[in-house]
Amino acid sequence: MFDVVSNYFTNDWQALILVSVVCACLTTGVLSPIVVSSRLAFFSDAVAHSTLAGVALGLLLSLDNPLTLMVGVAIVVALIIASLRQVTTLGLDTLLGVAMAGSLAAGLLMYHAAEKGYAGLHNYLFGQVALLGPTDMWALVACAVVAVVVGARWGNRFFLLAVSRPLAQARGVPVARYEFLLIVLLGLVVSLSVRAVGLLLVNALLIVPAATSRNLARSVRGMFWGSVGVALFSGLCGLFVGDYLLLPPAPAIVVVAVLLFIVSQALRPLLGHHVAEA
Amino acid sequence: MATEPLLKCEHVTVSAGGRKLVEDVSLALPRGQLVALIGPNGAGKTTLLRAILKLIKYDGRIEINGRIGYVPQRLQYDRTLPMTVLEFMALTLQKRPVAFGVAGRVKARVQELLESVGAARLARSMIGGLSGGELQRVMLASALQDQPELLLLDEPAAGVDIEGEATFTELILHQVREHNTTVVLVSHDLSVVSDITDQVVCLNRTLKCVGSAKDLLTAETIAEVFGGHKAVYGHHHH
Repeated sequence: MFDVVSNYFTNDWQALILVSVVCACLTTGVLSPIVVSSRLAFFSDAVAHSTLAGVALGLLLSLDNPLTLMVGVAIVVALIIASLRQVTTLGLDTLLGVAMAGSLAAGLLMYHAAEKGYAGLHNYLFGQVALLGPTDMWALVACAVVAVVVGARWGNRFFLLAVSRPLAQARGVPVARYEFLLIVLLGLVVSLSVRAVGLLLVNALLIVPAATSRNLARSVRGMFWGSVGVALFSGLCGLFVGDYLLLPPAPAIVVVAVLLFIVSQALRPLLGHHVAEA
Repeated sequence: MATEPLLKCEHVTVSAGGRKLVEDVSLALPRGQLVALIGPNGAGKTTLLRAILKLIKYDGRIEINGRIGYVPQRLQYDRTLPMTVLEFMALTLQKRPVAFGVAGRVKARVQELLESVGAARLARSMIGGLSGGELQRVMLASALQDQPELLLLDEPAAGVDIEGEATFTELILHQVREHNTTVVLVSHDLSVVSDITDQVVCLNRTLKCVGSAKDLLTAETIAEVFGGHKAVYGHHHH
């Protein structure tokens, strides 16, 4: 096991994977409390599914690296959902269901047209850290920096919005602008993390860390640091243990995070956390 | 000009989906008054408040010569969110993210605000565990942070026990008398109107009447505003 871990610090290619995973987990760990508190879980899932359309479009256009297109398509889909939300009377869950199915189906059609089949599709569905290159790593580093800066600068506003939209509005928070910012940020983060974690699993990293820390925290501070801790621990533990047991890293990372969630759920009653029924 | 009104509405109309929710409301409120804005459910009271807060589009003119504080009606929020009252209030008092901790000066300010509404012991409580009355005090403390000259309270009696309500009224009265704040209490319940109210504004889409509680609370006015439904008038006495 020690050798497995030390390789990540000595081998350049493995170090690249380590940095990428740590950055993806740091990003999702920082944003998770905001996503969960703002009830954007399904939203980020829909955005994740739309990244396949970006990948397929890139393949159709014979681009070497579809990263820019993935990010572009994800942000466009996110903005379409956000604007539809303003004009439609449908529930957000319905709207997201349509967007998720629509963008996934369109992505699959384009992928099939480009590759004459579904070969290699699993790399995007389940993630493949082995395929990560320096561009991916630097994109994830940049993503982590952006997430930390946005969280530090506007975190209070996002939490005020999460507590109550009308209250934030009445306090002079330009609500629409902040929602727009959060949506673009989510589109960016999700699409950049897809290659490492897979579009089916990236959402887990945005939801499970804060879901876990919420179970035990009694303050925003506790929830935030708990979420960052759970995300980083899951990332490192999943990567190392997965490697040691010859398991794919992305599902291993998610399984570790979900196990931590189950533990937190079990510990919750022991801590005597009573929350008034709404 | 010393007699300049604090709030002046001129021909304010709010429409939504082709319907006029509030129509042609003109109103002027001086400083240091306790005003009751009453009318039945769906009369456009909250809509008028939202127009005053510039949260929705309206036709006409609204002029406010001072800072506004606002306590929303029955705040809907996620009660499972782990957030302390201190953190909640610090969200709008400090730039540093509350996830990195609350600054010492902000802690002192929050404590001072909570003390002013008789809720000093709530700083460490989680917002999800507050009772209706406690939440209302916290929201009031939060609304007082900018020392508002106009304080809008939407249905403050909702979800508060009678005992709590009495002391909440005392707190509001203190604001009016000591800080020269104009407090607008919005209610569908006439029982909020009493001898402590300086002015009563009756709204049912259009402005039905404005005046002192004593002059206005006649059977005719009530019938006009509430459409003859007198049950709400039951426990009022003047």
